[in-house]
Amino acid sequence: MLKISNLHASVEDKEILKGINLEINAGEVHAIMGPNGAGKSTLSSIIAGNENYEVSEGEILLEGEDISELAPEERAHKGVFLSFQYPVEIPGVSVTNFMKTAINESRKANGKEEMPANEMLKLIREKSELLEIDRKFLSRSLNEGFSGGEKKRNEIFQMAMLEPKIAILDETDSGLDIDALRIVANGVNKLKNENNAVLVITHYQRLLDYIIPDFVHVLMDGKIVKSGGKELAYELEEKGYDWIKTELN
Amino acid sequence: MFLIIQTQAELVVVEKAFRYKTMAKYTEDDLKVELENKEYEYGFYTELDSETFPIGLNEDIVRAISKKKDEPQWMTDWRIEAFRAWQEMVEPEWANVNYEKPDFQAISYYSAPKKADPNKTLDDVDPELLAMYKKLGISIDEQKKMNNIAMDIVVDSVSVATTFKKTLAEKGIIFMSISEAIREYPELVQKYLGTVVPQRDNFYAALNSAVFSDGSFCYIPKGVKCPMELSTYFRINQAGTGQFERTLLIADEGSYVSYLEGCTAPSRDENQLHAAVVELIALDNAEIKYSTVQNWYPGNKEGKGGVFNFVTKRGICEKNAKISWTQVETGSAVTWKYPSVVLKGDNSIGEFYSIAVTNNFQQADTGTKMVHLGKNTKSTIISKGISAGKSQNSYRGLVRISANADNARNFSQCDSLLMGNNCGAHTFPYIESKNSSAKIEHEATTSKIGEDQVFYCNQRGIPTEKAIALIVNGFSKEVLNKLPMEFAVEAQKLLEISLEGSVG
Amino acid sequence: MDLKEKLVSSFMAFEEQIDVTSQLHDVRTSAIKNFENKGFPTKKEEAWKYTSLNAILKNDFTVFPKHENAIEFAEVKKYFLHEIDTYKVIFVDGKFSSFLSSTTHDGLDVCLMSSALTKPKYKMVIDEYFNKIASKDETLTTLNTAFANEGAYINVPKSKVVEKPIEIIYFSTGVENALMVQPRNLVIVGENAHVQIIERHQSLNENPVLTNAVTEIFAQKRAIVDYYKIQNDLLTANLIDNTYISQKQESRVSVHTFSFGGNITRNNLNFYHFGERIDSTLKGITIIGDKQHVDHYTLVNHATPNCESHQNYKTILADSSTGVFNGKIYVEKEAQKTDAFQQNNNILIGDKATINAKPQLEIFADDVKCSHGCTIGQLDESAMFYMQQRGIPKKEAKALLMYAFSNSVIESIKIPELKQRITKIIANKLGVNLGFDL
Repeated sequence: MLKISNLHASVEDKEILKGINLEINAGEVHAIMGPNGAGKSTLSSIIAGNENYEVSEGEILLEGEDISELAPEERAHKGVFLSFQYPVEIPGVSVTNFMKTAINESRKANGKEEMPANEMLKLIREKSELLEIDRKFLSRSLNEGFSGGEKKRNEIFQMAMLEPKIAILDETDSGLDIDALRIVANGVNKLKNENNAVLVITHYQRLLDYIIPDFVHVLMDGKIVKSGGKELAYELEEKGYDWIKTELN
Repeated sequence: MFLIIQTQAELVVVEKAFRYKTMAKYTEDDLKVELENKEYEYGFYTELDSETFPIGLNEDIVRAISKKKDEPQWMTDWRIEAFRAWQEMVEPEWANVNYEKPDFQAISYYSAPKKADPNKTLDDVDPELLAMYKKLGISIDEQKKMNNIAMDIVVDSVSVATTFKKTLAEKGIIFMSISEAIREYPELVQKYLGTVVPQRDNFYAALNSAVFSDGSFCYIPKGVKCPMELSTYFRINQAGTGQFERTLLIADEGSYVSYLEGCTAPSRDENQLHAAVVELIALDNAEIKYSTVQNWYPGNKEGKGGVFNFVTKRGICEKNAKISWTQVETGSAVTWKYPSVVLKGDNSIGEFYSIAVTNNFQQADTGTKMVHLGKNTKSTIISKGISAGKSQNSYRGLVRISANADNARNFSQCDSLLMGNNCGAHTFPYIESKNSSAKIEHEATTSKIGEDQVFYCNQRGIPTEKAIALIVNGFSKEVLNKLPMEFAVEAQKLLEISLEGSVG
Repeated sequence: MDLKEKLVSSFMAFEEQIDVTSQLHDVRTSAIKNFENKGFPTKKEEAWKYTSLNAILKNDFTVFPKHENAIEFAEVKKYFLHEIDTYKVIFVDGKFSSFLSSTTHDGLDVCLMSSALTKPKYKMVIDEYFNKIASKDETLTTLNTAFANEGAYINVPKSKVVEKPIEIIYFSTGVENALMVQPRNLVIVGENAHVQIIERHQSLNENPVLTNAVTEIFAQKRAIVDYYKIQNDLLTANLIDNTYISQKQESRVSVHTFSFGGNITRNNLNFYHFGERIDSTLKGITIIGDKQHVDHYTLVNHATPNCESHQNYKTILADSSTGVFNGKIYVEKEAQKTDAFQQNNNILIGDKATINAKPQLEIFADDVKCSHGCTIGQLDESAMFYMQQRGIPKKEAKALLMYAFSNSVIESIKIPELKQRITKIIANKLGVNLGFDL
């Protein structure tokens, strides 16, 4: 599904990613864990195509196609979804209108007709029920005045609507209380199937109790320094990142 | 389409479907196609056989206009009085706009399509004119039953067709050109004309008072809720003319009316002058909603040509009355316009909702004045300015609380959005309070479209251009929502067309 | 003879009586010409829309006091920040009082404008700075420039942190029936230097006074300047205070204006930026009553990228007083990433009080964060009731609320003794004993 090889990237001449290799197959859930400043958010931004980062080396393949030169919206059209750590507010634009625009742009890019209104309504109803989202919420301005939990739930709702191939969840657990975390994780689990993949980026193991990863990778100082199964997450939680550092030395 | 308006009863039903359609439509290809034809789409000129006065202005011309229109003596005298006052006045310079002052002696003050006849029926209307309306997207064809919009259409200076007069007459509503009203209801016109905007109110108002050639007149009787949206459509067609229309709208006690106004002009290299006066009178418990979509020709990309739009709009509220101005300003080379409300009666309410978009070399100095005289009066001002290209966009507003206006309230919000680094956004609010029980809140912000907002949209698959349209629309939402539905759609499209190509 | 004529006709006599360099002669001459053309401002001018000088200009002001009057320190001690050691530059009826002053040339110059303008060793500095940031167009500023002769001269060299605050006080003793004075201050703060200055104008009896002051402040790279203006004069005193500030990169300048006294007070406060990452702060508390009139006219001219400005003006108006706030944020095209904020809150407690506010934004750069907020209102009645219910009498509750209202400005005073003094003045003004220290 997604294959990243030897990815180097920098921002304002400071190298942040120093050769990342990662392969995610359909149906898999991967988690990337690491201390603050390890480059976790940089990696997610780069996969999504944020132009503030410069990729100096390496490639990002989505289903065998190199997407590293594509515009962010082109990557989105091909099925890359990033759940933002800090979702952006767009005053005056309702969640519903935003989603309609996004879905139809993707359909247009993929040579499909616009989604008929009744189908759209049905889809919205279905997905909002799935994620226990109050319909009133959908007519509010995008992320404006949303609580932390609402913002994250809205991200997952959008993921449900757009049905991406690869969903990257960047620190989706930050700022969530346990109930909100459960709802968000349940949503992700319901959306996961054998044709898509999820990449969870997190500092803490907490979220991984709910979204169970097949693989866990530890990102430190711009490199993946250790990979393992879900038990690695527990080990990290218990022993802290310093443990890895010592182990590496 | 400018004007496809359904009956009130239908409107509710249609509204929902329509609202949905609007949004779905928002992402349609046809919009894109339209955007590609981004040149001023109303910029055609229609070959009409017109009668145009020689250029220049003096008392004889003023008298000739009055005579041409068969006006009673008092009206002629009123005009002459205004003309004399105007001669003593100087063109104001305080606004934040730069332009070459019009040569008032180089303008023709009267131009009328020849075939327009006061006793016209639709069959009599010049077919060229009807074709022009078609181009403008206006249907005045009653047969089509796109019905229940009562329209008064002013081309150049003369009202050419007033539709639905009969339907309205049954309710006692008078809706006709002001020329007709001067002849048919002289006592009403004489009673109210100039009571809100006196002849010598300001330079352009004085000029208008002297030379206005037509405009709309509307009277809603006591207790009547006007069953349909009333609309005036203005267009400057003839070259070298000025348009000086005068609108007088009286809502008698306990009545309600919603009034729409639209404006376009052909693309011309020279500047055209538009100096209108609108007077609104809301008597006790009456409500007037006045919406404008102003799309006069803004000049070309190099700043050549375009309409000088110098307009005086003011309303007066008696007890418990309400006046609400909503405007979407995308046109004109230079705009000088402050739709205002004098809150004279206790408990009266004034509102001003505005979107002003400037692009290329446009300059707009617009805002409102809310003058609180009565007790418990309330006013709300929401102004959204969007500047792009090399344009300058200024908000200028006054909130004045007089000593007797106990418990007056005002809330003002002025937001500016800058697109690109060659334009300017300016905010000049004046807040004056002489009453210690007044509560006033004023907020203003200036910002640009955030890169993070655009990236977020991109990530969800929305290309940059569409993302910007979406964000601008969101920015303007509070005001767009105040427009009648059909106008809102038009306005939304205008916003996009006006800003087309302004983001690199 | 009206005041304008009197001033213009006495200009030559004034120039003859002082020993000045020829260059200054030119500066003065063009300044007096500008004033002669423009005269005193009237309400017809946009900048003076809400303030009329007509009534005060009717006084028969003496332009050059003939008499001298000595005052004892004990008489005026209360106007000094006597709890702490300070440098002092003190003037009585426009003349320097060496007796009351405490100047220095040790490590920095805290001395007189008159000597700076005449002594050869200051010539270079005067050439470089005098009248360089002050307006050559604004009529009252040029009037001051024409007669500029006396005031405080402060020059803080590079990296000098001035330990003691500097007090500049202008006393008028009422020796003349009506007196007009035009002090001129020049403050130069070198690279990385830091200084705190307190300025005050004080009448000692009720003969009318008109002060038309100009202060120029130059903050070099990374300099920090905290300037406090205490305006708590008698109701017969009028003040037009023009302050021009030039800031170089990474400098931080704050001006606090406390307006409690005086008849008509007009503050023209102008900040100009010449470098990046500059920080400007403008704060004010105005508490007036009777028929007092205070007009704050501010300008922050953002001409360079990445700079910040913060404005916060609080006004409480009682009786028939009038407050004016006219604040302008001007952001030039080059000034990207400007962060400019302006807040103006007003409370009207007098039935005949008037507030006129005109907060303006003029923005020519797109990547900026600029906002202003302006409110006009009353004291929160539910808060009043809450406090009364807890046993705080109405008067004290009211005072407490007003104090709380102005607190965000008081909080940013960096000299503790001054903070205490201002709090006391506010308590006096409100007629209560707040009974707590800060």
